[in-house]
Formats: sequence, C-alpha cells, structure tokens
Amino acid sequence: MDITLLMSQFISGLSQGMMLFLIASGLSLIFGVMNILNFAHASLWLVGAFFCHSIWLRMQDYGFALWLSIPLAGLVLAGIGWLIEVILIRRVYKRELPEQLLLTYAMVLIIGDVIKISWGVEDRIIVRPPEVSGPVFFFGIPIDSYFIFVILVGVAVAIGLWWFLKKTKYGRIVRAAVFSREMVSALGIPIPRIYTGVFVLGIFIAGIAGAVQAPVGSITLGMDMAVIIQAFCVVVIGGFGSLLGTLVGSIIVGEIYAFSILFWPQGALALIFIVTAIILIVRPWGLFGTPMRV
Amino acid sequence: MKRYLFLGLIYALALVLPLFIGEFWIHVAVEILILGLFAVSFNMIFGYMGQLSFGHAAYYGVGAYVTGMLMVKASVPLAICLPLSMIGAGICALIIGYFCVRLTGIYFAILTMAFGQLIYYIIFKWYSFTRGDDGLQGIIAPPLLFSVNAYYYFTLFIATAALIVMWYISESPFGYTMRAIRDNADRTRFIGINVRKYMLINFVIAGMFAGLAGALWGPFNRSIAPDLCNWHHSGTPVFMTVIGGPFGFFGPMIGSVIYTFLMAFITGFTEYWPLTIGLVIIFVVLFVPGGVLGVFENKMKGFRSKAPKSEETIP
Repeated sequence: MDITLLMSQFISGLSQGMMLFLIASGLSLIFGVMNILNFAHASLWLVGAFFCHSIWLRMQDYGFALWLSIPLAGLVLAGIGWLIEVILIRRVYKRELPEQLLLTYAMVLIIGDVIKISWGVEDRIIVRPPEVSGPVFFFGIPIDSYFIFVILVGVAVAIGLWWFLKKTKYGRIVRAAVFSREMVSALGIPIPRIYTGVFVLGIFIAGIAGAVQAPVGSITLGMDMAVIIQAFCVVVIGGFGSLLGTLVGSIIVGEIYAFSILFWPQGALALIFIVTAIILIVRPWGLFGTPMRV
Repeated sequence: MKRYLFLGLIYALALVLPLFIGEFWIHVAVEILILGLFAVSFNMIFGYMGQLSFGHAAYYGVGAYVTGMLMVKASVPLAICLPLSMIGAGICALIIGYFCVRLTGIYFAILTMAFGQLIYYIIFKWYSFTRGDDGLQGIIAPPLLFSVNAYYYFTLFIATAALIVMWYISESPFGYTMRAIRDNADRTRFIGINVRKYMLINFVIAGMFAGLAGALWGPFNRSIAPDLCNWHHSGTPVFMTVIGGPFGFFGPMIGSVIYTFLMAFITGFTEYWPLTIGLVIIFVVLFVPGGVLGVFENKMKGFRSKAPKSEETIP
C-alpha cells in the first residue's frame, strides 16, 4: 500500500464527499427551515443531470457547452422546485411528519417515471471537455482533473451558502426562521415566501449538483435511490440544519466510502449505515447540530 | 354486533372467493393477504405507537430469508419454518428496536431506515450465505399446498390467526398503553409505565408478524431476492396504511386490498405503476387524510370531529 494510492483515494473520497455535500446541503437547509424531509431531493438531482445532458447535447460543438449547461440545468431545476413548492409542498406545511414524508416519497415515484417517459431508459454520457478530461499531477500523483473541479464547485457552494446565511439580510431572516417561526412572522415577514425561497434555493443547488455529477460517469435511471440514502446519512451525521455539519458529514461519508473500497469493498455502504446509526443513538442531533425536538 | 356481522360476511366472502375468480386473481388475493398482514404489523408501530418505521421491510425480508434458506438448504417443513421466521425477525427487531425506541419522530424514522438498509446490505453482499442479488430460487411449498387454491386457504388461515392475535394485543391493556404512549409519552411515563420497554415489546411483536408475512411470501413466489428488504419496499406498508387509514385495526388490510388490486389492474396495461401510485398517494395525503376507513367512519358518525392534530394536543 503506497502513498500514491492512498493520496489518490483520498482525493477521490473528497470529491465524492463534495458531491454528497452539494445534494445534502439543500436537503439540510430545507429540513432546517421548513422542517420537511425531502425524499425527492435526489430525484430532482437526477433530473438536473438529465437536463444538463439535454442542454449539453444541443451545443456540444462549442467548447463552453458543459460550463453553460451546468448553471442552466440549475436554473431549470429552480423553476421546477418553485412549481413543486407552490403546488404541493405548500399544502402540507401544517400537516404531520408522516404525511409530509409520504408526499415527498410519492414525488420520488412520480419523478422516476417522468424521467423514464421524458428521457427513455438508455444511459446518457457527457463527453468531458479537454480542460477536465486528463489527469493533473500533484507531486507526481495523478489525480483526475474533474475531481478537482467537483471539489472546487463544492467549496464554492459552501462559501456561497455561508456568505448568504451569515452576511445577507435574507440569510439572517432564514436563520431567524429556523430559530423561531412565530417571531419572524410576528415581525411582519411572510413565512410562506421564505419557505418558497428556501425550497427553490435547495432545489437549485440539487440541480447544479446533478449537472456536475453528469460527466462523472453515465447517467442512469435509479441512481437517485442510493444517493438519497447516503445524503440522509450525511445530514444525520452532520446534524440537521447545520451547514458546517453537512460539510463535515459529507467528507466523512465520502472518505469512509473511498477507503473502505480499498480495504473492505463489501462493507463500504454497511459501514456508512453503522456510523449513521451510532451517531443517531449517541447524538441524535448530529455532530454539529443543536439538540432540539428529539 | 353489527361490526362482527360485517366481518363475518367479509370472511365468508373470502372463503368462497376462489370459486368465482380465475387463477390470476387468486394469486392477487394471496398477495393481498400477505402484504395486508405486513401492513397491519407495520401499523402496530405506526397507528398504535405513533412512530413511523421506515425499515419495516427488513423484518419481512428476514422472515422470508429464514424460511427460504431453511427450505432450500435444509428441506425443513414449512410448518416449522413459519415460527422460526417469526423468531428470527423478532430477534432482529429486538436488537434494532433496543436502539430505535430511544428516539421518536423523524429520528426514529431515519434510524429504522438506516438499520433496515444495513440488513439489506448484509443480505445483498453476503454472497456465500444468502447468494446475494441472485436471490434464492426453488422455494417449493409442500405438495399439499401446491395448488394456488390450497395456498390461498393456507394463507387465509395463517393471516386470520395472526390478525386475531394482533387484534387481541391491540385491544388488551397493553394495546391501550401503546395508545397512551402515542398520545402523550411524557404523561404515560409519569403514571409509572416504562415507556421504552413497552415500545420495545411492541416493536418486537410488529417485527415478528412482519417476519411471518415474509415467510409466507417465499413459498408463494417460489423465489426471494434481497430487494424484499430494501427501503422502497418499506414504503409499501406505509402506502397501504395511509390509503386504508391508520386509525382502525383493519385500515391497513383495506389499504392492501386497494393497493394490490390497483397494482394488478394497472400493471396489466401500463408499466408506469409508480407514477400511478404516486399520484394516488398525493391525492390521499392532500384530500383524504385518515384514509378510506377514516372517510367511512366519518360518514357513519355523522362527520364527527376527527382525531386531534398534533398542534391541538396539550404538550
């Protein structure tokens, strides 16, 4: 076992972790603010990947095709997220947890079939542009350059979200809404509008994440089913509603995955569930969350 | 009294059903019974204890695997396999439940799901023991139960017995303790009840009956696969319970009739069954809270006020 292999495995785990962070950050934000666990988050992530492919396909002759498709896919998904919020989610704000879970779970089934109807069952592949197709060398260790891109996007989204939540007026309102909905609403700020905004933001990030995921491998139906569970694990490990926790949780899960593939390939996912279960038993609010509503 | 008459009528109908319907629909009826039993066992946790278990398929799958592996590898008779399946699923539920009952709400749902996935991956990856995603084939019911009709009556008998036992449990003081815990765990604790212990016992009972339902599935389908334990299969009893109504004992069974019948009917002419059931679920959640049984009982009682919502209960 030489250092080169460990290092490249570490980078691969980091990029996988960042990918999970892109999905889980929206999930955690939506749960933290709206108290709704969005089962359909990874399904929308997959829709983002398919949209990215479709947009990319229309302009693949140009060098900037992928770089333009990623934000466009995010915007399309933001629109879809807005529709879902206004038509469905808004109706279940006051319902109980199981009903909210069921609604988003039903969306998983519907979106899965809608993808099948719209894009068919064949796998899609995006050819990476030359900038990110070869390896780059760090101290002589070859690293997939697309992984570096994924990590950069993850870091950018993390910083962007942090800046939004801590430094902007809307971010402060959102954080206040996490703390006390009644108080924010008593100050004359319309809660439903905040909820819609947060949901759209979360789905926008999920769309970006899907688009970034698209060129990693092939885009396959049913990819979302495994990813949503891992995203739940990330959010549980980090703590619901905590941005830092989600970041740390994603890296933990990504690295566990990358290194257990090396040492104990059968147990990779099992190990993630074991860690999640231990965290839930010992600290249900996660590593960085605040104890509440346990 | 009227209620018992109604149940008797339904039961008589179930007894003569195979005389009137074709083989395909008898298959569907067996499926309704097995999945209905699964859903009723799920509702022991959901309806009576007030917690959403999102890993209930794990116990179903463990039950199916205990029976399947004993029958295929050791040719153990089915009659012995069934109780062993219940015990196997019960032990799993005991170990998992020990941790799960410490949590409530969303954390309970996610922890049951994480453990369910853990069991799924163990069965999926332990190729040398469970044959992984190849599944187990050739689980043949004994010659006496070989025909569809015979297996239907066998399932009906076992399911009825299990339902009667669960009915007694839910109407016993234990069942009412569970309702008290569901409505207010703190107050229940104050009157000196060990809430966690009671929740754990209930969790194990629910797991055992899910295991029994799983055990019936193998010989019926003649093969089993690890997907029986996967989290989307845990959604099935949730759907059935919500469609049928979680506030009555037979709600999940009614849900199973609707769900399974609809599935057999819809898959006959379109592959988009998930889309259909997704729309049905959204419709039920938005417009028919309380499920079919809820609507039915509301009509009966002249639209009496429904079960209190969480924000109205006193903390």
